[in-house]
Amino acid sequence: MGHCGELLSVRNVSKGFGGTQALDDVSLSVRAGQVHTLIGENGAGKSTLIKILGGVHRADAGEILLEGEARRFPSPREAQAAGIIVIPQEMRIVPAATVAENVTLGAWPERRVFGMLPAIDHRRMREHAAAALARLDFQGRLDARMDELTFAERQLVVIARALSQKARLLILDEPTASLEHREAERLFGMIERLKAEGVGIIYVSHRLDEIVRLSDACTVLRDGRVVACCGRGEIDKEQLVRLMTGRDLEELHRPHDRVFGEAALGCRIDDESVADVPATLAVRTGEVLGLAGLLGSGTTEFLRRLFGADLPHPGDLAVAGRPAAHASPGHAIANGIGYVPGERRLALVMDLSVRDNIVLPNLRAFSRGWRMDEGAVDRLVAELMEVLDIRPRDPSRRVGDLSGGNQQKVIFARWLVGKVGVLLLDEPTQGIDVAAKARIHKLMHDFVAEGGAVIFTSSEIPEVMLMSDAVIALRKGQVVGSMRRGGDDYNERTLREALGG
Amino acid sequence: MASLGGAEGAVQTSEAKARGTLLRGLLDQMPLLALALLMVFSALATERFLSPMNLNNILLQASVMAIIAIGMTFVIIAGGFDLSVGSVVAFAGCVAAWVMLETNVVVGMAAGVAAGAAIGLLNGLVVTRLKVSPFITTLGTMVMVRGLTLLITDGRPVVGEYGLPDSFLEIGRGAFLGVHYLVWLPLLLFAVFGWLLHATAYGRRVFATGGNREAAYLAGIQVDRVATSAYTWCGAMAGVAGVMLASRLQSGQPTAGEFYELTAIAAVVLGGASLKGGEGKLYKSMIGVLIMVVLANSLNLMNVHSYWQRVAIGVVIVLAAAADQLRARRK
Repeated sequence: MGHCGELLSVRNVSKGFGGTQALDDVSLSVRAGQVHTLIGENGAGKSTLIKILGGVHRADAGEILLEGEARRFPSPREAQAAGIIVIPQEMRIVPAATVAENVTLGAWPERRVFGMLPAIDHRRMREHAAAALARLDFQGRLDARMDELTFAERQLVVIARALSQKARLLILDEPTASLEHREAERLFGMIERLKAEGVGIIYVSHRLDEIVRLSDACTVLRDGRVVACCGRGEIDKEQLVRLMTGRDLEELHRPHDRVFGEAALGCRIDDESVADVPATLAVRTGEVLGLAGLLGSGTTEFLRRLFGADLPHPGDLAVAGRPAAHASPGHAIANGIGYVPGERRLALVMDLSVRDNIVLPNLRAFSRGWRMDEGAVDRLVAELMEVLDIRPRDPSRRVGDLSGGNQQKVIFARWLVGKVGVLLLDEPTQGIDVAAKARIHKLMHDFVAEGGAVIFTSSEIPEVMLMSDAVIALRKGQVVGSMRRGGDDYNERTLREALGG
Repeated sequence: MASLGGAEGAVQTSEAKARGTLLRGLLDQMPLLALALLMVFSALATERFLSPMNLNNILLQASVMAIIAIGMTFVIIAGGFDLSVGSVVAFAGCVAAWVMLETNVVVGMAAGVAAGAAIGLLNGLVVTRLKVSPFITTLGTMVMVRGLTLLITDGRPVVGEYGLPDSFLEIGRGAFLGVHYLVWLPLLLFAVFGWLLHATAYGRRVFATGGNREAAYLAGIQVDRVATSAYTWCGAMAGVAGVMLASRLQSGQPTAGEFYELTAIAAVVLGGASLKGGEGKLYKSMIGVLIMVVLANSLNLMNVHSYWQRVAIGVVIVLAAAADQLRARRK
């Protein structure tokens, strides 16, 4: 291991945006060859801190020391030149270019044709790329186009690019959010190697297991302030949750008192692209059905087909016990089925108001001839904002200006308007913090408690186990098994084996 | 110490908020301010600007463009774009003139508007069904429709042996309460379409489709139908504009309406609609039209050479686009 000098030191940094104080007197330090994890709820200030280190924002107060020397990064360029490399969640790649071109992006080695004409030196470019990727155990081809790669492979390419820029401090922002179990393990192996080479790492994640496992030091942020800084061995999950949210983990456990009623949505899956052997999907009122599958296992596609957003249906449908077919989302909604896509930007029209987003799927219900019943809309929206505690309590506010958690509530609110009987939720808790996750789980539970039915997808096995009454497992687009709460096979191990994670 | 800092922060916050609201309000009414400034400047620069005859002239010139801009606002808010309106103006005018010479005035006018709507429907279907980009689709129909117009007219104005029917020409000449029919018509259409866009469920669907197509689709909106309807309105409006222009020009002119598409798009963007879709106000598009017309009019009155007029209008279009970007970045 390299020497353990202080690589980066952030001292008393503050930053405000308009009226909100995003960071308030934040200090932390990272040693070379160490992983310093950063944890906090959405809006706690993690992204702002990363952006200041990466040169995107400038701090209002405080200083940043790199190896004891005060530095300023007016733009990302200067931060990169100093060896601070941020790997964001949304990776910047050129999809149509090759792996080798992306690794060396912007720093392509050149040569002179006939001693004068400049041209890219493809041979050297491939050598550079191969050398950078070799450290990361990358198995793809150098000539593959980026858009042919899996998410995990693209991430390796981006990290390789960072390393070829002589990274001294690597900032990983939720790097495992879209990775499969095995891929995450490979990433952790790579982090170990980089530590051994003396690279300092700031690691941001919502996943408590990873935090406990990887941290040499851990800083917990809440409302822009450092609420705790702990060293290795001082960290446990329950304590982290308390520090982040100011509450206990207890709330995360669901009560087991669900009462099932009549059939809500059924589907006899006979499409060969989904099931070799015909299988049955059925959810009753008061019940939660989990569609479990790793990333890319087809759960999202399956759910969209159930909703009629993509066709054909995976099999014959029955809504409330009667045969039904919906060829478009409009029909599905008329049949009492609502859908919440995995990404908020797929569900909300950011430029429209909270009010307009809530009534969006219910415009017909509020149309009186050629005009809208604005009074009825106002009353209902006000009531829903109260019930779901959407903040700020201003129906005319642009949805794009709301925090992520409140945006999520707006999406839920719209399906409570139309008295939808079945909710289809695609990865409802992906990438959100523990407290927000608990709120979503509570919404799901309340929805079924009042006689609704839920089908949700998740790649997090513990979550599937916690929330579901029945589970259908998908692998590579195929139904590979099903289980029911109370059965002998209802456990994490069986499910994990079925999914092949 | 801490509490003092907190109180100070709170004061700064409310002040910053008030300033932010004021600034936003000002930016929001930028087009209106620009129009007011332009008119004050023009009135000071030439005394003829405020003469009743000139003001009437401005309204007449704005009337055709205003109607095109109404349709364009629909298409742009729905996330599209229409370059074909200028050609449709000529096509609709010629079709109307030709049909009314064969039948009667009412059928002729209806045929002109229907011809425009048909081109709009075609644009909409190509964009939504064949997934061709709006730019390429309407560039294609722009050229195609112009060619078609020249073909059916043989490149000559459509007037007939004894000119177009008198009752049709009366539309272009006549007035009600001292205001030209041609000025009343856009006012009427503005009221109808403003309400359609801003007060009905259909209008919300247009905004949602342009603002986030996927989200609108998943909320059960038939986005292809909404987008196609916007193109159809746009074509129909260009058709109405073409018929109006024919009555003013007392003939169907196969070369009429050139560059109207650019003026209309510029006017809508000047009025604050976003070319990314999902944002815009019909009344602001009308202000955008007035800016374009008043600018051309006052440059004329000041005897600015027509070549320089083109340069000036070009600069205004680029400035409007830059303002659009600035607005987008502010978010």
